[in-house]
Amino acid sequence: MRSRAIAALFTALVTAYAWLLLRAESQGAIAALILVGIAAGILAMRTQLLRPVARSLGSNERFAQGLAFAAVVVIALALRDDDFALLLLTRVLIVIVACLGLNVQFGYAGVVNFAGASFFGVGGYTAAVLASSARLPHLLVLLAGGVTAALAGTVLLLPILRTRGHYAALITIAFALLFRTFLEVNDALGGPQGLKLGEMRIGPLRFNDPISAGPFEGSFYLRYIAVALVLVALAFAVVQRLDRSWVGVALDTVRLDEIAAASFGMDIARWKIAAFTVGNFIIGVAGALSAFMIGFIAPNNYSFAESLIFVSILLLGGIGSAWGLSLATAIVILLPEKFQIIQEYRFLMFAALVVLTLLFRPVGLVPRPLRRLVGPPLS
Amino acid sequence: MTTPLLSCRRLTRRFGGVVALDGLDLEVEAASVLGLIGPNGSGKTTFFNVVTGLFPANAGEIRFAGAPITGLRPQAVHRAGIARTFQRSRLCLPLSIFDNLMVGNHQHLDHRLWFNLVRRQVLRRQIEENYRAARELLHIFDPPLADRMMEPAARIPMIDRRRVEVCRALISRPKLLLLDEPSAGMTHEETLRLMDDILEVQQKLGGLTIILIEHEMSVIERVTRRCVVLNYGRKIAEGAYAEVSRDPEVREAYLGLE
Amino acid sequence: MSASVIAQYVMNGAMLGMMYALVAVGFTLFFGVLDIIQFSHGDVVAAGAFAGLAAWTLLTAAGVAAPAVLLLAVVLSAVAVTALLGAVVARFIVLPVKGAPQLNVLLVTLMAGTVLRECLRLFYPGGSQPKLFPALLPTSGWDIGGFHLRFDNVILLVSGALLIAGTHLIITRSRLGLAIRAVAQDEETARTMGIDFRRVVLVTFALGSALAAFAGVIDGLYYNEVFFGMGLLLGVIGFAAAILGGLGNLYGAIVGGFLFAALQTIGAVALPFASAYKDVFAFGVVILLMAIRPTGLIGERASERV
Repeated sequence: MRSRAIAALFTALVTAYAWLLLRAESQGAIAALILVGIAAGILAMRTQLLRPVARSLGSNERFAQGLAFAAVVVIALALRDDDFALLLLTRVLIVIVACLGLNVQFGYAGVVNFAGASFFGVGGYTAAVLASSARLPHLLVLLAGGVTAALAGTVLLLPILRTRGHYAALITIAFALLFRTFLEVNDALGGPQGLKLGEMRIGPLRFNDPISAGPFEGSFYLRYIAVALVLVALAFAVVQRLDRSWVGVALDTVRLDEIAAASFGMDIARWKIAAFTVGNFIIGVAGALSAFMIGFIAPNNYSFAESLIFVSILLLGGIGSAWGLSLATAIVILLPEKFQIIQEYRFLMFAALVVLTLLFRPVGLVPRPLRRLVGPPLS
Repeated sequence: MTTPLLSCRRLTRRFGGVVALDGLDLEVEAASVLGLIGPNGSGKTTFFNVVTGLFPANAGEIRFAGAPITGLRPQAVHRAGIARTFQRSRLCLPLSIFDNLMVGNHQHLDHRLWFNLVRRQVLRRQIEENYRAARELLHIFDPPLADRMMEPAARIPMIDRRRVEVCRALISRPKLLLLDEPSAGMTHEETLRLMDDILEVQQKLGGLTIILIEHEMSVIERVTRRCVVLNYGRKIAEGAYAEVSRDPEVREAYLGLE
Repeated sequence: MSASVIAQYVMNGAMLGMMYALVAVGFTLFFGVLDIIQFSHGDVVAAGAFAGLAAWTLLTAAGVAAPAVLLLAVVLSAVAVTALLGAVVARFIVLPVKGAPQLNVLLVTLMAGTVLRECLRLFYPGGSQPKLFPALLPTSGWDIGGFHLRFDNVILLVSGALLIAGTHLIITRSRLGLAIRAVAQDEETARTMGIDFRRVVLVTFALGSALAAFAGVIDGLYYNEVFFGMGLLLGVIGFAAAILGGLGNLYGAIVGGFLFAALQTIGAVALPFASAYKDVFAFGVVILLMAIRPTGLIGERASERV
């Protein structure tokens, strides 16, 4: 019980910090907050102050997930009329979903994908086209975004299965560049100007109306946050269940040693296809929701540089680590948006950070825990 | 002689200009232990790689339990009932020992996506059953290790990794076990212990056939009744160790004695 | 299609092929000595082109107008910068992760390339927009039956060919080349034979990168424009060309470069739908080639089937 109390206290601190950061407006205050955050992070790493928290959260993951869920809800409600802060929060949640998908490919099966933003874009463009032309319920449009992204991925399956490592990387890079160029020159999809989306609707709910229920008033973004939060929960569940199952063992083996995997009967192609497709589906769904939320999409949102940002998030957080990538997403998305001075330099900054991470701490911020199929999840 | 479990006819494998296997004929009787010896580079490991399908044979035929397995992919060869260890340890070091053992048991696990995502209770029971079975097997080889199966394989010493690797190959209850220098890096006593454990499992499983590549001649002498000597990818002698070790060609090629 | 138009396409393709080949040779050299892919190679090329441009800008600002001097300065500056960058990448990015999982090597070089690319965009004056590259070679030429054969193009092609030939001589005839080949053959043996492994790696990276600097300069002189993202395109295509020719194979890289250019040119002729799709087509070809011949058209290493 005591460890739970510590974990709850820790979550409360982090929540308060996130709330402060999200609502802060003066650049000076934001800079100070960021410095405090960095200092706290370094302190926590140096003094191992977080050990009991990590142990508590690690040994009771349900509890940890509940806390995290509650924290996001609290922050969203506390900032209920701050459109920009809520937009950022939604974006963080959506990118977490996308990176969870990428993690299945990169982190588990070792299938490199440098076109994450492209599949995110396939989902987004699918949503834009379907929402404007078909009378499909919008929840199904989200699903369709995932399905189209998964289908688009099949184009790359054959070359990816026939090659490994570097070569597969080249293929996805080529696809990322191709996709962006294709969107720009293709008039049917709006060319460089992109496409507009109408508001999202689920049943009677119109997503772009402000919320007012009795005394409670809030930004329309709250609805998007709710949907994004559900998606995060679902994606987390899928990804972690995959990891903690026979599938997880197989995917890891395929990544670590194809020869051993094949010698013990593992169908390597099957596992790579499964990981690539599941991952792209998740990325596509996230992309569709993102398109609805922004209401407007253009090729620029889906460039190779954006794909690299997704990959950076995985590496900074700790490859294969769902919690790590969530933390890294928050950092990578929020930092440049709040601290405007670095906005222009974000690609440079995060690329440099990744280089340093790979050179000096390849396991990332929150290293992936050992899979323990039997017994408590963490020692 | 009864019908052999594994028989190879004129098996040939070339790498560029190098002939690693040169028309090799080889048979293994069911439930026996065959020693495969020969100097470095004589084609022993290549033989394993060709049998298991990692390298396709350039010519020749392999029959296993009466059916041809020439040209099958490694996965299919494994499913037919052949498991192996590797000369250089190929455990997945970041994974737990238990995970590594389950890699060996892949073909018997239910790995459908939907099942693993949704039927968590059934999965849990499967995991627990497998845990007990794995623990039992590992206990034969290394009792203390059997209680540490949730530790990463990277954390255990080389000798224990070797044992885990043998268990990984045994856990799927193969008909034929290919052991590629299981004793590399072990002391003489440890090697003998490992062999005794393997033979104990062989007794239990009843009918397990083993091909053993080994450099320790005392081990070969002790655990095999028949062995095959390779040199330059060809069989230069065959018979009980006591016989082949007296063969002048073997002595010249392998034992380095004039 | 008239003969002159065909000649124009051939010229165009030859120029592209020369650039690709120069970049591909770098990839293949790096792979030879270290068994890794230097994913930032393309961005090193772009940095070379910008270094050349910077030299030109500085000298013209200082009042130098002689094209020969300017050209020399552009080339020297590009070569010096890329050679240095190549060696720096090798020393501080690639060698430290030697022995780490392949994926890490790939990621670290890719991200280092992004750092370079972003530095060009952010810190080169006006770097976020395409920059005009000066025409330093005579643009006059011969008219051959309606086809205008320009001197500058001929000079670029001939010098490119000479460079490749020179590299070939270095690799096959010099002591340095012998060391490079020894390391490529077997690192351990090379070490025991007293070859300074680190030095060979650094020199190889400097050499391969310097070679690619010419690709950057040729690109600039031919299109009269350089762009911070040009390295990405050249890198991807150069790498694809190197694979096409069989990684580690010098001749293969050259053939692969020209082959790729040929495919691209033929594609541009054969496919009627506008030149807008020419990059889409090029990357499509990369993906397609990987699907058909993942180990390259020339030379294939024996590998396990899994």
